[in-house]
Amino acid sequence: MGAALAIEAKGLFKSFDGKLAVRGVDVSVPEGSIYGILGPNGAGKTTTLRMLLGIIEPDAGARSLLGNDHPLEMARVVGYLPEERGLYPAMKTREAIAFMGALRGLPLDVGRKRAEILLQQNGLGDYVDKPIKSLSKGMAQTIQLFGTIVHKPKLIVLDEPFSGLDAINQGRLEHMIRDVAAAGTTVIFSTHVIHHAERLCERIAIIAGGEVRFEGLVSDARERLRPQVRLRTRAAEGKWRSALPKDAALDDDHWTFELPKTGIEPLLKALLDGGAGIEELSVERRGLHDAFVAIAGESAAREMEAEEAVASGDAA
Amino acid sequence: MNLWESAWVIARRDFVASVFSRFFILFLLAPIALIGFMIFFNVATERQDRAASQPVVAVVTDSVTATALAQTRARLAGNAGEQNFPILRNVDPAENVPAQARELLADESGNYTAVLSGTLDRPVLTGPMRSEFATRRMQLLVDESRRTAALEGAHAAPQPVELDRVVTEQASGSLATGRRLLGQGTQSLIFAVTLMLATLLLSTLVEEKTNKIIEILAASVPLESIFLGKLVAMLGISLVGLGLWTGVIGSGVLLFFQFASNFITLPDVSPAVGWPLFILLLLLYYTMNFMLLGALFLGIGGQATNIREVQTISMPVVLLQLMVLMLAMNAVSGTQGVMYWIAYIFPFSSPMSMIALAAKSGTLWPHLLALAWQAFWVFLIVRMSSRLFRRTVLKSGTTGSFFNFGFRRKQAAN
Repeated sequence: MGAALAIEAKGLFKSFDGKLAVRGVDVSVPEGSIYGILGPNGAGKTTTLRMLLGIIEPDAGARSLLGNDHPLEMARVVGYLPEERGLYPAMKTREAIAFMGALRGLPLDVGRKRAEILLQQNGLGDYVDKPIKSLSKGMAQTIQLFGTIVHKPKLIVLDEPFSGLDAINQGRLEHMIRDVAAAGTTVIFSTHVIHHAERLCERIAIIAGGEVRFEGLVSDARERLRPQVRLRTRAAEGKWRSALPKDAALDDDHWTFELPKTGIEPLLKALLDGGAGIEELSVERRGLHDAFVAIAGESAAREMEAEEAVASGDAA
Repeated sequence: MNLWESAWVIARRDFVASVFSRFFILFLLAPIALIGFMIFFNVATERQDRAASQPVVAVVTDSVTATALAQTRARLAGNAGEQNFPILRNVDPAENVPAQARELLADESGNYTAVLSGTLDRPVLTGPMRSEFATRRMQLLVDESRRTAALEGAHAAPQPVELDRVVTEQASGSLATGRRLLGQGTQSLIFAVTLMLATLLLSTLVEEKTNKIIEILAASVPLESIFLGKLVAMLGISLVGLGLWTGVIGSGVLLFFQFASNFITLPDVSPAVGWPLFILLLLLYYTMNFMLLGALFLGIGGQATNIREVQTISMPVVLLQLMVLMLAMNAVSGTQGVMYWIAYIFPFSSPMSMIALAAKSGTLWPHLLALAWQAFWVFLIVRMSSRLFRRTVLKSGTTGSFFNFGFRRKQAAN
């Protein structure tokens, strides 16, 4: 990992009322990357983000944000969208965005101009002078996101940014994240929806039970699992069967099994020599979901799927 | 951004949000309407109250005695005030005066407190004698009437003499009284305005918590600047209110004094430090009083999660303020002693005690000392409140130095 780090945390611990919420979290976020923190609710994602930002102090461990050991000192160049969205209901959208910028040191008049541009660019020009309380939940969330980026931060921290958004707005948000990252901004977000992380992130941390179970490139997480082989043969029996691993499973007329460590060539030769009569053979790379199940466990994956189902229902 | 810049951002938002809301008009009008209502109510009921509370004595005597008593009453009441004597109502005597007296006392329409019968030489006062005031005044009227009759009989009644009035600039006795009243008046003013804003201060952080904005604020600026910003905003709001109230009520008072000065001589109540400095000190001590109590209320209110909890906290807070006012008033009227000094030193009563001192004494250095002392406590309470907030609401301890009032925090242990 050659790039400088936007965030580096080592051995973060935090407990609330004697209960350990985060235990020894290590995180390394390279500058300019999109980084995902993946895990079910209660895994410690929000607590980790709050510690990284300096909202709460860790009980133990060290963290540095944009090279500074005192995260709040970097508040001017950081944008943060908390999980619990909050805006002043009576404030007009332009003022709300400008106020959030002002909290980060952006002059109010500049903030107002940028707010207008952001609103117009995203088809919300008619809502410039509308109070927040008159907006839909998704729209208010979008306004808050604009407030997070209005001061053009070097680092954006988003806690569950996709929750509560419908599919269209989720797509828009993904697009926006890619845009700001392309401009050199580091983005770190937490999510319990694997496909967002899979589509957006170069690096991820998988957290479960307050611990980081995996931290690194998405491709490395996937490569932890052997590729999946899918095979259909004409012959049901024969010498070729001995070439299959012992845990190969027959599903209808297909065999599925992990690609042997020896690789595809010896397997292919054994199948051909053994008279299998190959009708179909594919080698598939495993998805992040499979990697997550393997790393965090079946129950964590099931929790995430349940949360995703609830979130989709809410957004709909 | 440093502490003050971020506090300014918070203060500006709170100030604009409050001053440009519809409810601010109500906030401004409330005390004016209240005072107006009180004046109206007072004027409307005062005459009736006075009449109702003045004892009525039935005079069941011959006409000579009744006339003598009425003349004495008129003479004395002319100087000492009508309300300081019972109302005398003449009733012709019946054959059985004791029975008549009992009937008069039992008659609810007459509303008599006592019945005077007999003559000036052998007066009889009949009644439950519960009103010491009526008894003593009737004794005085009888004595004075007899003395007058005796002097007139001896042709020795003196002619009334007018006092020759020599007007001087000042008398230390009246000046001290005036200054004490001025001190107590300004104490009450500071107390009343702070009391009005107490509930607002208690509930000011609830908005952030219920709207879930607190996390955005806490991630952007130090908690101390949130507390400080909110305090400054509320101070600004109160000063706008004070400006308006002083303008309206002050104009009314000035008009009254201008009108009243045609009939009575108003006492000279110039404060010991002079009016310009006194007004400046009043502003400074009001600010300090507000900041001190405000910081405390913010700290307490910060622990509340909803308006209901704030309302529960309000009552003890009002009681606390009353106790502080009583302590401060002790500094004005009390003699030197432990409580006297506590009133000046205890941070929450110090501003009110010191403004009273400015009315009484012209020495200036104690004010500089007191303002520095009070500012130190504002800092201390804001710091403690934000730490308590961080610990209990954000569930996070801090490892930084207590006196490190800014961004700097010690790095967490490895």
